[in-house]
Amino acid sequence: MKIVGLESIVFGVEDVAGCATFLTDYGLFPVDVTEKGGRFEALDGTSVVLVHSADESLPASIGNGCMMRKTIMGVADQETIDAITAELSKDRDVKTLADGSIESKDDSGFVIGFKVTERKQLTLPGEISNVPGSPFQRPVNHLAVNDDAEQIRPRTLSHIVYFVPDPVKAEAFYVERLGFRCTDRFEGTGPFLQPAGTLDHHTHFLIGAPPFMQGVEHFTFHFGGPTEMMQNGSRFIEKGYQAFWGPGRHIFGSNWFWYFNSPFACHIEMDADMDLHDQNWVPRVATSDADTSQTFLMRYRNKWAPGKDSGKNGAYE
Amino acid sequence: MGEVQAKVLCHIDEIEEGATKGFLENDAGHDLFFVVKLDGRLFAWRNACPHVSGAPMAWRKDAYMDAKKQHVACHAHGALFEPDTGLCIQGPCLGQSLAKVPVHVDQAGMVSVLITDIN
Repeated sequence: MKIVGLESIVFGVEDVAGCATFLTDYGLFPVDVTEKGGRFEALDGTSVVLVHSADESLPASIGNGCMMRKTIMGVADQETIDAITAELSKDRDVKTLADGSIESKDDSGFVIGFKVTERKQLTLPGEISNVPGSPFQRPVNHLAVNDDAEQIRPRTLSHIVYFVPDPVKAEAFYVERLGFRCTDRFEGTGPFLQPAGTLDHHTHFLIGAPPFMQGVEHFTFHFGGPTEMMQNGSRFIEKGYQAFWGPGRHIFGSNWFWYFNSPFACHIEMDADMDLHDQNWVPRVATSDADTSQTFLMRYRNKWAPGKDSGKNGAYE
Repeated sequence: MGEVQAKVLCHIDEIEEGATKGFLENDAGHDLFFVVKLDGRLFAWRNACPHVSGAPMAWRKDAYMDAKKQHVACHAHGALFEPDTGLCIQGPCLGQSLAKVPVHVDQAGMVSVLITDIN
């Protein structure tokens, strides 16, 4: 099944204005935003959708305060929509909505949707490092850093991480019913899952958790490289937002990460430079801990430089 | 008796009713603790969710309440806490409590903490 990735994540929120400011400051483009909600797009058009929680057209929350109401996946073509409809109709309701997309539930109870992807193909270079000896260099007189850059924009919706009460059952649904494959696994925690229509290391990661925790751990967009990610994250903190973990670089997936608290009852991440894998990849297995989760970890600090304005101990007080 | 050192935080009127305000921000932008004002009374809690050791709780500077303005929330995973007792009533740390910080309000309305309570 040619599921190409996440298309949109829908949240039901009370504070539409606060959430809208948050997503706009993160770098998403606000589209058709009113006090009832709106859409917040990455450069390729994949999005987060806010809907006021009083809107009765929203799918119900799975509970536990989870504000995520629906995860919509993009697929390559109508044939894939038809194939998913046929597969899931064997044992559950599949609704066809007015826009031609379909809606159902996964085996954990999360509402899922599928639509023919409307994402734009991006032709924007990513971060290129000048490396002695490398055939790939930045063009001469092209600068790596622009401190005056306008708002940095996420490229595309990357992945979502669910807390699920039964990770084995949850994984089986995505693998056996929707054609995902496990690319790597944290034993005792859960699998990184890749659908058949993308090479991204993962679009889903599942974490086993007690039923009262079922919900979303985080979601994230890909940025154009580590510099964009860290420049955007630093600006985000300077606006008063609160970092949770990072910046750092994961081992499984190799993606740079920076996690922040959010008004969505889950974290939001900024990520960059995730590994691509095809069917020749052999999944790794590890136990999730600080050493296996990251190859290095840093944290934000206020800008500082040695010089006359330093305190008597410089930055080392 | 030796004088116990206190740190003055703000005037009580600088904290809005039903809102929170964080104090003693570190270099990473995280408050050491925050104060919530409820029916004119102040309750202060360490900015450290019991779910993940030491995890900061606000989603934006000073923003520790849920959208309904009824509970203190951890904006990591949405845990909700009673603002006056610190007890978690929903979320991953269900049944656990925030760590209390004693705050004092003098006759002029100045809010302070004892240095020994925040070390």
